[in-house]
Amino acid sequence: MSETLELVRETPLLQLSMQQAINRALGEILEHDDRALIFGEDVGVLGGVFRVTDGLQQRFGANRVFDTPLAESGILGTAIGLAMAGFHPIPEVQFDGFAYPAVNQIITQLARMNYRSRGRLPMPVTLRVPSFGGIRAPEHHGESLESLFAHVPGLKVVSPSNPQQAYHLLKHAASMPDPVIFMEPKARYWNKAAVDLADDQDSISLEGSVIARPGKHATLVAWGAMVSRCLQVAELAAEDGIELEVLDLRWLKPIDEAGLAASVSRTRRAIVVHEGPHTAGLGAEVAALVSQSCFDTLRAPVERVTGFDVPYPSGDLEDEYIPNIDRILFGVQRVLEYRRG
Amino acid sequence: MRTDIASTLHWQQHEPALDAGRAPVLLVHGFASSTALNWEATGWVRDLTAAGRRVLTVDLLGHGESSAPLETDVYAPSRLRAAVLEVLALAGIRVREAGNPATGVDLVGYSLGSRLAWELAAERPDLINRAVLGGMSAEDPLADFDLDAADRFLADASAIAHASTASLMTLMQLAPGANAPALLRLVAAIKAERFEPGASVPARPLLFVTGDRDVLATGTTQLAALAGGSEVLWLPARTHTNAVSSRAFKQAAIEFLGR
Amino acid sequence: MAEISFPLPDLGEGLLEATVLEWLVKVGDQVERNQPFVEVETTKSSVELPSPIAGIVLTLHGEPGDVVLVDRPLITFAVADDSAGIVGTVPQEAAPKRRVRLSVVLDED
Repeated sequence: MSETLELVRETPLLQLSMQQAINRALGEILEHDDRALIFGEDVGVLGGVFRVTDGLQQRFGANRVFDTPLAESGILGTAIGLAMAGFHPIPEVQFDGFAYPAVNQIITQLARMNYRSRGRLPMPVTLRVPSFGGIRAPEHHGESLESLFAHVPGLKVVSPSNPQQAYHLLKHAASMPDPVIFMEPKARYWNKAAVDLADDQDSISLEGSVIARPGKHATLVAWGAMVSRCLQVAELAAEDGIELEVLDLRWLKPIDEAGLAASVSRTRRAIVVHEGPHTAGLGAEVAALVSQSCFDTLRAPVERVTGFDVPYPSGDLEDEYIPNIDRILFGVQRVLEYRRG
Repeated sequence: MRTDIASTLHWQQHEPALDAGRAPVLLVHGFASSTALNWEATGWVRDLTAAGRRVLTVDLLGHGESSAPLETDVYAPSRLRAAVLEVLALAGIRVREAGNPATGVDLVGYSLGSRLAWELAAERPDLINRAVLGGMSAEDPLADFDLDAADRFLADASAIAHASTASLMTLMQLAPGANAPALLRLVAAIKAERFEPGASVPARPLLFVTGDRDVLATGTTQLAALAGGSEVLWLPARTHTNAVSSRAFKQAAIEFLGR
Repeated sequence: MAEISFPLPDLGEGLLEATVLEWLVKVGDQVERNQPFVEVETTKSSVELPSPIAGIVLTLHGEPGDVVLVDRPLITFAVADDSAGIVGTVPQEAAPKRRVRLSVVLDED
């Protein structure tokens, strides 16, 4: 009987873009969890400015997928109240830079309600935020807020780098009792890749970091859209005889200290790459963790290749701002040629 | 770029994506308008550069981004034309050479700009190849403007009895960025130096384009007859205000200047 | 495909309406971003309006001579589902380009 079932089971392997993968995950969450609700600006009738919630209102009705006024503080306040009443809200803040009006709700209520109520009011809220730059958009549409949110006790922060991870990490985040900031790299929304839909906890890791490409000479640590760029860099470095490991950090709070230490203790060199500004960026945290865990084996100080300490620039300048292949290669070169002395 | 001509005149060059090797086209806007309103928002600069023409634009004194001195003499039409010629010199416009279509300059004017283009074409046949004259009047619509009533209106909002003065005043009030006190100096200067089409008639090829509901641009037929062999295009259902953005106008101008 | 409508924008100085002079596109046309799609007149000037996105024209809201109100729909486009949203553009996938080459002597111990 069970053998027969095994034979007819189709392998659910699909080519999906990240927006399609997230759309599919949201649909499944709504289907299986009748306390899940999706709301935000334009997520209902329009189906999201990036089509991520396309068709969900038609499928599940306007009571479960609904449009809100243009007021992020209100969106998060609504989510907090709904969570207190036993719902599982999945609000969307339309763009990273629109999260600022909601920061008070996020930090002073969402992140600490569970703590404040001694566990009686958990906040199972998954806040989706299309994040980072790379799409030539105007101000407030290209910001990196991970270090801001990672600094807040009570929040979890995660950023998928491909459709497969987006699908599974979103479903995982929505099943958690804690508030999760789900940072979708909008520059990667349109890239298609194979997605294994099987919810097989053994084959798909949901916690911690993953090695996106193994290598031995140095580790590139990245998340979100920078992972695919670092994979390109690793491919180019291989032409020069340098084998770079790419560690996709994925969870930015909590950071996978053990996975980070394991990779860098093998390669003995690390370059952390992120889009956000340099000072107090999450790269500083990564560098500190690596220094602490790998101090004896490190061959060079941890290099940071990041955005600059300026407001995120207009679209025509973003190629100069976001770490590009050459800037990352320079970082690799500096780490490789470093000599103690 | 600002010319030294009182270091006050704002002019620009707009390069074509693919240069057709033809003479540049100078655009001269109308009263209380500007390069931005008359030529950019209406699509003229885009369509001409797309047709391979280098385009020169100039904000006449008192308009757009040019300065707006509060004195009358500087606005004399003869001085406005001298300023335009200086812009042409600065832009490197060369005197027409037979058989070389890249030399000289073509003109497109609208309303007051057409009056200036008519006079320029008559005065400088060595420089001007062809001219398109839009919304042009044989008589200055500004010549019987009641300046005193306009000054009183600006001072204390007294009603203006004279109908065309009142409507021009409304235009000046409505036009974005229009500098009414400076424009009244221009009106005074025009009243002192009226348009006399018969005084000098262009010998260069001309195309007149007028909306058939344009009540300000009177005398198109008469002007076309004066300048023998010129062409006329009537734009159906267009007025003085809305003829300028007409696609038929732009297409006819591009075709005419491309000959 | 998704439908996206655009309203008549505020053309400045508090004007609340404009008159359609001439449509420069017709239903079914593929329109590129920044391509002028309509000529409209306000009480003070006439202008061409550029399209904010690329798409196929589904509906033109008004005939030449009709008055349209600011913030009311002017044109509706059909856009591909994988086109960018209201803002931004889809990043182009290009082969990675480099100028920097790595040159190091690895003295592994």
